[in-house]
Amino acid sequence: MPKYIVRHNAAERVMHWTLVVSFFILVLTGLGLYAHAFFGYLNFFGGAEQGMLFHRWASILFIISSVFLFLSNMKETLTFDADDAAWLKAGGGYLSREKKEIPQGKFNAGQKLFAVFAILATVVMAVSGFVIWFADSFGRALVQFSLMIHALFFIFFVMAAIVHIYLASIGNPGTSAGMLWGQVTSGWAKKHSSKWYKAMGGK
Amino acid sequence: MARKAFLIDTTRCTACRGCQVACKQWNNIPAEGTVNRGSYENPPQLTPQTYNQIRFIETEKSGDLRWLFMNKRCLHCGDAGCMKVCPSAGALYRTPEGLVGFDAAKCIGCNYCINGCPFDVPRYTEDKKVTKCHGCIDRVSNGLAPACVKTCPTGCLQFGDRDKLISAAKEKGKSVYAEKDLDGLGVLYILDDTPGTYELPAKPAIPASIFLWKDVIKPLGILGFWGAVGTALLHYVTVGPKKVEEDDDSYTGGKGDA
Ligand code: HEM
Ligand code: SF4
Ligand code: SF4
Ligand code: SF4
Repeated sequence: MPKYIVRHNAAERVMHWTLVVSFFILVLTGLGLYAHAFFGYLNFFGGAEQGMLFHRWASILFIISSVFLFLSNMKETLTFDADDAAWLKAGGGYLSREKKEIPQGKFNAGQKLFAVFAILATVVMAVSGFVIWFADSFGRALVQFSLMIHALFFIFFVMAAIVHIYLASIGNPGTSAGMLWGQVTSGWAKKHSSKWYKAMGGK
Repeated sequence: MARKAFLIDTTRCTACRGCQVACKQWNNIPAEGTVNRGSYENPPQLTPQTYNQIRFIETEKSGDLRWLFMNKRCLHCGDAGCMKVCPSAGALYRTPEGLVGFDAAKCIGCNYCINGCPFDVPRYTEDKKVTKCHGCIDRVSNGLAPACVKTCPTGCLQFGDRDKLISAAKEKGKSVYAEKDLDGLGVLYILDDTPGTYELPAKPAIPASIFLWKDVIKPLGILGFWGAVGTALLHYVTVGPKKVEEDDDSYTGGKGDA
């Protein structure tokens, strides 16, 4: 078994980091409109009107990259077997230091849930955002509802992203390498994704 | 300072539309081209160039045709939906007299107030700046009556201390529309029919979605953010990371592993 296994191909990596950059632009410009306390963030983008334009362009990049990532992992994301159920039951082994061996495919059950959340939330943000963008063309009640939903899923998305960033970085050392230059160590693969490790030729 | 308000006694309006014209004159707003739609009502609703507008309402009551007039404008709500949603502090603001003014220079054209107002009042100019009745703040702060009030020949439009206007109306046995809703409206209507006839909500309130958005979701968001950050940090210092150990495989760690 080689030291390194390819985990995410170049297209997935580029799209993931496009997603991250657009997400942070969306969060900062969104926060600027969200509360007076953050209004100053819009100045990073050359003022409020300019910041609102950034938000619109970033949303397009975000939607494209989010849909791309979902589609490229879709087959794996949408399979859910007994091992996944066991993983969820054990809280992914995150609740104690005790070692738990729960065989998982390329993604564990938690990542699958995150991926499903991410695509659903992307659609909700895209649709409600579209209504707010073209508010003149929609009824007032629908625009009001969309403003509310857009704020609600903004919070859900930020919360999910915080947990995701933690687990993909310091929470699970070695994971970020797979998204940065594409390779994880075989030790990492065996520990986190033993079924995938075997499918990739490991023992 | 005592809160000021408009009193609009619709029973006294003759629909001369002097108020509509006086407003344009004082605020230096151009006239608009109008069309005959089979009604004197022109324009058919508030526009970026028309801060107050006389509504012409035809209705039937026990077989009799009634022709009702109402001066429509911003109601200068005590709890103003437009101010609640505006992201740009100062673009919409409360004057010492309790009126709701706007500052086009601070407006960022986000569209929120257009949808946050319970009465569908604010309008956009072509360059995406908010406009609406600002209660002639520039006149009122100098002790003058608003232009529309000054011009009204019948006493339909009055302006003064809110409390005094209400008690004067009550003394005459007239009741005021939605006196206590939205922390009290800054426009006190005396109506000659049901609010619905005038296309006013019977019990005006901040739209439910707007309330949930600004008064529930927004504060909970702070909790959600710090809750997620706190949970991650707590996990790191209690349970700790899932390290790839020596015995997990022949190779562990190495250059670039976080
Ligand atoms: C600096 C912040 C981020 C870091 C360090 C990071 C890191 C990672 C890593 C290492 C993976 C691969 C996981 C694996 O190989 O098992 C991944 C996957 C993924 N990331 Fe991120 N990420 C970040 C921000 C985001 C944000 C903001 C979003 C979306 C809003 C996002 C959405 C995704 C999605 C959809 C996947 C696909 C895999 C899955 O569904 O679990 N990431 N990320
Ligand atoms: S009527 Fe509308 S625009 Fe006027 S103060 Fe109330 S919410 Fe604001
Ligand atoms: S359009 Fe202007 S006044 Fe209205 S909410 Fe946005 S910034 Fe405030
Ligand atoms: S000036 Fe007075 S009477 Fe004339 S339309 Fe306006 S409110 Fe009615």
